[in-house]
Amino acid sequence: MAPISIHLLQALSQELSQIPVDPGDLAIAASQLAAQLEGLARLDDLDLSSVEPATVLLPPMEGPHVP
Amino acid sequence: MSPEELTQLSIAEVGELLRRRALSPVELTRAYLDRIQREDGHRLAYITVLRKEALAAATAAEQEIARGRSRGPLHGIPIALKDLVMTRGIRTTCGSRILKDWVPDADATVARRLAEAGAILLGKLNMHEFAYGPTGVNPHYGTSRNPWDRGRMPGGSSSGSAAAVAAGLCAGALGTDTGGSVRIPAALCGLVGLKPTYGRVSRAGVIPLAWSLDHVGPMTRTVTDAAFLLQALAGRDPADPSTADVPVPDYARAVQGEIRGLRLGLPKDLFFERLDPEVRAAVLAAARSLEGLGALVEEIPLPKIRHAGPASFAIIASEATTYHEPYLKTRAAEYGDDVRARLMTGQFILAGHYLKAQRARQVIRAEMDLALGRVQALLLPTTPIPAPPLDAREVTVDGFTEDVRAWLIRCTRPINVTGHPALSVPCGLTAAGLPIGLQIVGRHFDEATVLRIGRAFEAVSPARGRRPPPEA
Repeated sequence: MAPISIHLLQALSQELSQIPVDPGDLAIAASQLAAQLEGLARLDDLDLSSVEPATVLLPPMEGPHVP
Repeated sequence: MSPEELTQLSIAEVGELLRRRALSPVELTRAYLDRIQREDGHRLAYITVLRKEALAAATAAEQEIARGRSRGPLHGIPIALKDLVMTRGIRTTCGSRILKDWVPDADATVARRLAEAGAILLGKLNMHEFAYGPTGVNPHYGTSRNPWDRGRMPGGSSSGSAAAVAAGLCAGALGTDTGGSVRIPAALCGLVGLKPTYGRVSRAGVIPLAWSLDHVGPMTRTVTDAAFLLQALAGRDPADPSTADVPVPDYARAVQGEIRGLRLGLPKDLFFERLDPEVRAAVLAAARSLEGLGALVEEIPLPKIRHAGPASFAIIASEATTYHEPYLKTRAAEYGDDVRARLMTGQFILAGHYLKAQRARQVIRAEMDLALGRVQALLLPTTPIPAPPLDAREVTVDGFTEDVRAWLIRCTRPINVTGHPALSVPCGLTAAGLPIGLQIVGRHFDEATVLRIGRAFEAVSPARGRRPPPEA
């Protein structure tokens, strides 16, 4: 599998999520993603085509975000 | 009995003294507070200690008991809460710098239910920042020390909860468990930790890590104590729509029964692969002990369970990053490095990955339900390794090296994915004196059977009566 480009992750983060990032964090993110992508791809082995996804009903009351 | 000895008793033992009025809640609370004052400077289990409030609550409990009113087995018992459980008028930091001064204006349902049961709140406990990690390492408040060996991780994310209960700094505590955060520290610190069924205990007012995987559960020194806490916590809560309207049995009575004739399964797939040899030996010995008590133990195949790890990763990463997005946009520098990097990772999980994981979850759960139709509970290790050194990044077992976090969560996170109840009970010590946990997984909403098996095993466990060395 080709290594995940940190520059690509940085562009995605800034353009799509609008979250400013430290490139140092992205190196760790790239390594974490690389470690999981094979397992995520193997979920297809389960034949999920007729399975209703489990969903979050409604999140419970939670603390307000502090500015 | 000396104040020090009082802090080592179980809730059942000390509750008996309170009921007979051989001990007062104030005397007991003071014994704990004094021990916290002496010991917690180097144990780092607490973030906030509530000396004045605890003594006031103990005085009120004492007066109630004197008037002949008993609220049950937790009345007058000093407990503490992981610091992501909202407490009205008391700061709730989540182990973070971002919320270091946040004071909620309402109690979480679980905090309120424990108060109504008469428990005395000693304080708020240290944790992995925002519950996002299984090691308990915290850059903001220091890392709670494992009472069995200060140079070892307590496990997380409910690190302070485990450290405090094991070190005699509270009689019981609450933790939360999204990938094993109650059971892992319980196993590493020689305690009982229960992750109830998803929907059994309210999460309203508990800061989330991942909504669809989060559970709240008790951490105690004995199985009976865990049953007492669960009794107070369990049941439908209108403030948490995921809680189920399922009858709550009398757990204290349920744990008393025999286990003769119960069918138990050993799922060899995933859970018994690449184990520390001492962990494997202790868990298999526990299964033989349960056979000796009359249970019937058989191997159970669970071939789909190995998909639970990737599914858990996609769900936690997506849900955690969604919750934290406002902070990531404005206060990212205030996170510890490990948690910020993990939250950044969540941005790159595709919606398709998340939905595939939520679909996979149904298939994995169905397989587990099928297995639990054949047997009443499954037996597995809680963690594949005992407590690693505090500074460990990787661990090698049988020539296989992996990130320490991956080791710690391997046997616990599948059970968050399926939502079944799971109990960790001490089942032995390594030659180096580190605790080992046996995990007992039961049918949905059948915590009673899980606790009954746990209590039966506890009575014959080689870890029975073993406590952390006083000098640690």
